[in-house]
Amino acid sequence: MQSEVIVETRNLTKVYRDFWGRQKVRALKALDLEVRRGEIFGLLGPNGSGKTTTIKLLLGLLFPTSGQALVFGSDAADVRKNQRLGYLPEESDLYKFLNAEETLDFYGRLFGMPHAVRRQRSFDLIEQVGLAKAKRRQLKEYSKGMTRRIGLAQALINDPELLFLDEPTTGLDPIGIREMKDLILALRKQGKTILMCSHRLDDVQDVCDRIAILNEGELKELGRVDALLKVQDVTEIHASGLSPAACEEIKQVIEKHKGRVLSMGNPTATLEELFVRIIRESEAHPGRRVRGSQET
Amino acid sequence: MPPQDTVAPPFFTWLLGPGWSEAGLYQPAMLAVFIVLLCGGLVAGAIAMRKGSAAISRKTAILLAGGILGAIVLLGALALLLWLFPVLRAPLAGLLGTGWHRGALFQFAAVVVCLGSFAFAVGWLAVAVQRGPEEALARCGRVVGEAAFDLICLSPRRVWALTWLTVKEAVRRRMVVAFAVFIVCLLFAGWFLDPGSGDPARLYLGFVLTTTTYLVLLLAWFLSTASLPADIKKRTLFTVITKPVRRSEIVLGRMLGFVAVGTGLLLIMGPISYVFVVRGLAHTHELPDADRETAEQLWNLPPETVARKGPQKLTTDTVNGHKHTIYLNPLKRVLRDGRAELETAAEGSFATQPEQGHWHAFSYETSDEEQPDGKVMRRLRTKLGPVLGRPIARVPIFGDLRFKDREGRDARKGISVGDEWEYRSFIQGGTRAAAIWSFQDIREEDFPDGIRVEMTIEIFRSHKGDIEKGVLGSLWVRRPAADPKVENWVEVRSFEAKEFVTDVKLIPRDLETPAGEQLDLFRDIVADGKLELRLTCEVPNQYFGAAPHDLYLRTGDAPFAWNFAKGYLGIWLQMVLVVCFGVMFSTFLSAPIAMLATMAMLLGGTFWQFIKDLGSHKVVGGGPGESLYRMVNQDNLVSEMPPGLRTTLLQMGDVVLEMGLRVVTRLLPDFGSYAFLDDQGHACVASGFDISTAMVAKAVLSAASFAIPLFVAGYFFLKTREVAR
Repeated sequence: MQSEVIVETRNLTKVYRDFWGRQKVRALKALDLEVRRGEIFGLLGPNGSGKTTTIKLLLGLLFPTSGQALVFGSDAADVRKNQRLGYLPEESDLYKFLNAEETLDFYGRLFGMPHAVRRQRSFDLIEQVGLAKAKRRQLKEYSKGMTRRIGLAQALINDPELLFLDEPTTGLDPIGIREMKDLILALRKQGKTILMCSHRLDDVQDVCDRIAILNEGELKELGRVDALLKVQDVTEIHASGLSPAACEEIKQVIEKHKGRVLSMGNPTATLEELFVRIIRESEAHPGRRVRGSQET
Repeated sequence: MPPQDTVAPPFFTWLLGPGWSEAGLYQPAMLAVFIVLLCGGLVAGAIAMRKGSAAISRKTAILLAGGILGAIVLLGALALLLWLFPVLRAPLAGLLGTGWHRGALFQFAAVVVCLGSFAFAVGWLAVAVQRGPEEALARCGRVVGEAAFDLICLSPRRVWALTWLTVKEAVRRRMVVAFAVFIVCLLFAGWFLDPGSGDPARLYLGFVLTTTTYLVLLLAWFLSTASLPADIKKRTLFTVITKPVRRSEIVLGRMLGFVAVGTGLLLIMGPISYVFVVRGLAHTHELPDADRETAEQLWNLPPETVARKGPQKLTTDTVNGHKHTIYLNPLKRVLRDGRAELETAAEGSFATQPEQGHWHAFSYETSDEEQPDGKVMRRLRTKLGPVLGRPIARVPIFGDLRFKDREGRDARKGISVGDEWEYRSFIQGGTRAAAIWSFQDIREEDFPDGIRVEMTIEIFRSHKGDIEKGVLGSLWVRRPAADPKVENWVEVRSFEAKEFVTDVKLIPRDLETPAGEQLDLFRDIVADGKLELRLTCEVPNQYFGAAPHDLYLRTGDAPFAWNFAKGYLGIWLQMVLVVCFGVMFSTFLSAPIAMLATMAMLLGGTFWQFIKDLGSHKVVGGGPGESLYRMVNQDNLVSEMPPGLRTTLLQMGDVVLEMGLRVVTRLLPDFGSYAFLDDQGHACVASGFDISTAMVAKAVLSAASFAIPLFVAGYFFLKTREVAR
């Protein structure tokens, strides 16, 4: 059974005009999309492809030139939908003169949350995004990564059903990227729906269930990530503890069945995996050089 | 140029039109219904506020807003109709009173209807060009419907959050600077303000009021216009708009935040200014030893000798550029063996002669001192107290002024003696020319000992005469007569008028007619609180100059601190308006343009009276076009324009421009009315006049009549614009 559609665009078009009303750029052309409850949906595309425009239209920050943008079944301009959504903007544009606690308290008030709830929620979120030590510092003193974290915390202040994440991993170090991706996956487990846009393909591939690829404002591809990336006529086997003889035997079996061995050997870890392992081990054992990292 | 019709109408006449008191709508029964409805509305509102906006359903909100809007539209449309078709005025006069359409309330409604219709038409046209007339109508209707909900269902918690944010931003960024500038200004002023000037109270008060006004308005202007555009530019507004915040709450939160910042600043500046003024004016004097010793002699002389010499004139030392005269009479009468005898008093206290608008308490006491030769000498110890009578807040009753010419005929103005400033006009001495003030609302309880008249008469001497001596004039009173030909004037007193001096005269309760008939001022002359007072000049070929506020009845004094606070309330109202204009403009303009637009409003509001006079063809030199022509050609202001096509075209253009200026005065607040200026353009607080409750009420209502539409306009601009780019 297909789950409920909570974000929908129908023939959504956006044309940017100049002061005199002359057309400057056609940012989005008749986009039709559906995002279902509980999935992580990724908008992919190069710079200027219309990803951020789509999100802004869905949030009511821009008005469509034609077509409709619906969130929870109501028009994007309706503020009541905002009660149930969270938004992490691309640059974490927050008030720099507030500190982390004040920031979360302020956004909590905008949701009409009572004082005690706001306090508890702010405390939990600051812990969750790892800013407990810096919670009294004004945001203007924060690094880019810290700003991203507090931006994410404000997006979660109301425990939203739907999250809009605009380039969520921009400005984060590899650990931060990993944590962000883990968090996104954890949020999905909690049943939240996430619409994210990114031009970092690995991020999208790692976390998204479905993606839409946009280019020059047009939808070029839409579907499940695993289905889109699946290479139908290639088979992949991962095994451990095989002797060279066993490997030779497997090759012969493949040839016997008229298959062709494309490659066979030991896989390499990604640089991200290596980096994360080294940093985590060094945090666990400060002052000790991590084993395996001496090899050049 | 100050206004000529200076006697402001009473509050309700201003609000509801001149005939409101006879109108059916304002009778007690109707008022009771209105009050019940109002209280019901307030209670419902309070409950809704407590429970949050969810307590008000969408339908109720639209119904409420629709009701308010409907009432305004109805009133406005009626006022407009009556303006266009005066025949229709009579039928409603019974309900609303004659001249009701001249009341501020109805004029406000008319302006709202005009502006609302104009805005709707422009909005519709803008959408219709792109999407066709029908969809445009539907969209505009939807925006208005949503507005009703957005404007009624405001969440106090969210508004407060945005207010708090605004205050925090201002405090952490710029406000401290403004406050520092204020303190520096005061420190410098302490060096340069001369307490020895002719009227130091006016100087000090004028300075603090002006400094505070400029600083607070500057801060309000700067903060309110820059903040929202910066929010949009830095995209910080995105995270706010994507929360369940209505645009009305953003506009209101911003406005309230800046108002709170300005209020905080005024709350600090007010008391500091008050202390600065009071301390700056505070001083006391001492009696020089020579004068004290002279006075001491009086106690060592026989009382009869002292009585023959009369009061002793003493002079204090000079402090702050002035000294006071004291007339010391040490004698008192005592009854001894049934006979009144004179003896010197052991102690006494009285006041010094006034100087620079104030005086001091003077007290003395004597003691006996035995001399080496065995004689007993009386020693005198004197003490002068602190400043009395300054700063003050006189409560005046001003009257309407009219004139009689040389032959005793009615005239709107007196004679011009060639002053460029036409504020005062003159009456010729030794003729039947007179200046007549008509007063109303005179109550007996305000004047238990007779009516106190204060006047500053300007004298124009056509021959020098004895320049040291004043010019003789007379004051007359009478009951306002139904027949203007009845000359039932009763002379109160003759007096010697002097230049630049405020004369204080008391009209006693008991008066005598030329025929010898005894009259009581309140029983026989003042009728329904009305009284006429006539000033004549008795010296042939000398002239008295008079303006409406040159002569007034002084009912008493209000507490100065309270008047000072009212003066600050005026600054607060101006600040509120600047904030409202600033925020409204910043909802759709970039920061520099919003700053320019707000400054234009501020300047226009400051010169409101001039713009109004220019639009009503009251300014010498013609309309804007004609004036420009005269300036370019270096023509004088009064010569006739040469007849011809050019003049006709200029004057036709001026008719259109003047109409535009009249429209502008309807849309601009008159900042002078919030600064509580007197008719000569000085702040009432500095001139020492009480700001009446009616003036305050009018200013508050009039400021609200701008602030609320500006908030609504700001909401619409922010609602219909794209925040992102």
